[in-house]
Amino acid sequence: MTGPRILLIALLLIFPSVGLAAPLPSWLKLPFVKKQAPVKLPQRKVRLGEFTGGTGASAKKALVEELTDSREFLITEDQADYVLSGSSVGGRVTGRLVNAEGRLLFERTYASPGLDENLRILSDDIIFEVTGKPGLATSRMVFVSDRSGTKQVYLCDAQGRDVQQVTRHAHGAVSPTLSPDGGAIAYTAYISGFPIVQVLDMGLGWERTVTDTPGSSFGAAFSPDGQRLALVMSFLGNPEIFVTDLNTNTAGCISDTVGAPSSPSWHPDGKQIIFADDRGRGPRLYVAEIPEKDHNEARLYLWRAGYSFCTDPEFSPDGKKVAFTARIGKETAVVIKEYPQGQSIVIQGEGAQHPSWSPNGRYLCYAQHGTLYVHDLRTSQRRAVLTQYGTVSEPRWMR
Amino acid sequence: MRLFLLAVGVMTGLCSCTSVPSPFQEREADIVFALGAREGFKSPMGNSLKPACPALEFLGTSFALTGAHRKVLTELAAEWKQEKPRYLIAGYTPPNFPEDYARSLSERRAQAVRQAMIEKGVEAVNLQTVGFGHDSAPSGPTTGVVVIYKQ
Repeated sequence: MTGPRILLIALLLIFPSVGLAAPLPSWLKLPFVKKQAPVKLPQRKVRLGEFTGGTGASAKKALVEELTDSREFLITEDQADYVLSGSSVGGRVTGRLVNAEGRLLFERTYASPGLDENLRILSDDIIFEVTGKPGLATSRMVFVSDRSGTKQVYLCDAQGRDVQQVTRHAHGAVSPTLSPDGGAIAYTAYISGFPIVQVLDMGLGWERTVTDTPGSSFGAAFSPDGQRLALVMSFLGNPEIFVTDLNTNTAGCISDTVGAPSSPSWHPDGKQIIFADDRGRGPRLYVAEIPEKDHNEARLYLWRAGYSFCTDPEFSPDGKKVAFTARIGKETAVVIKEYPQGQSIVIQGEGAQHPSWSPNGRYLCYAQHGTLYVHDLRTSQRRAVLTQYGTVSEPRWMR
Repeated sequence: MRLFLLAVGVMTGLCSCTSVPSPFQEREADIVFALGAREGFKSPMGNSLKPACPALEFLGTSFALTGAHRKVLTELAAEWKQEKPRYLIAGYTPPNFPEDYARSLSERRAQAVRQAMIEKGVEAVNLQTVGFGHDSAPSGPTTGVVVIYKQ
């Protein structure tokens, strides 16, 4: 097939007039590239009604900012799809959302300490009520930064603000992950110089050791129900992926490898785990099914991602896509591929790595050359949310 | 001619037999020994530990031992038999690897070294492994090496 094709192309080059007169076969035609139309974001019109009470005016002003930041709404004065009103006294906020027909969608009172905190929760509740997907105002990101001299775990919001240092271990802490409700962080701490996995409950403030086994333990990932952790442990004499139950402190091995497995991530159904495994030819992606109780059958298979060096996979919140780090040439790139099969798209090359999905699946955060970026997957625009904050690595968004 | 046919028949029979290993088969898994307790071992993070031998360098993403590695380990195993010290085998990677993969790869390399030392006669209880990836930078090594520290 190649011979005649080259011959025909050569003929067309020599006699271009023949080529113009004769209709070209379909396989020779160049794909017609359409100019992409600008992406129209689905925006619902919201009118902010009266906010009574002592802090009502400042609450209304802050709420306009929150809802505008979310990019889900268009704040308008006429013909609104939704009308929001309420009251605020001494930091407490009551919100009341009504649709265009005048039907009450919800009316709730928020009494957390701090007006801003209450408004963020109200903003996320409005987004969830209208779009059915979680808002990002209360979501958090964890990452590792070396700005203090050692690698430590930090926490920030989706805009890169409110940065808090979570760990202060002498030899550092790495590989953090947030629980689905955002109430706990699991990470690897180098306490006494050896890696152990710890869970920090941010509501209660206590910290406990999940695994302190010989060898290395790292790469913890919370299950969608927040009750289990998938992680890598090597006390068996080889690194393997384990699933540990946080209530019973029992662990089961789900990988069967002689290589170097890393970075497990849960499917939102809680029944599959994707991880990278290097069996001697560079890291590839594997999917393991979690064996259920009284069922011994579980499958472990290679998921063909299309690249020979793939790490840090993470399922999208709907489970239909996987974002991962691939090495293309000498640099790493962030790639999204449809799951279980489909096309793959390079989101960002030139050293971007460790992607993590936003809870609504519309954004992706990743680290590139020590900077934390948030990438809008609808508009393909990205924003550096944290720059010059040491070398930022391993970002993870709340699931 | 008969002899030739007999030889061909025997060869065909042997090749069809499943017990004969195929030259294209993947390498069998090494026998692995579970790690013993870590109590009493000192970490190179924060402690100034002496390397027991020159650092073993690994290229790319390989975790297979080379002839040069085995030569160093043979000498170390012979040395071990005199005093029977304990060793911590620590793996490191350069900073251009993804972090989690770097930890796993460095641990796997350390385990490969440990396995080779066990095969050369060092008792498993005296060997402990750890994979730092590039978490110990900038004070630790910043290349793809496995360092054996004497405790």
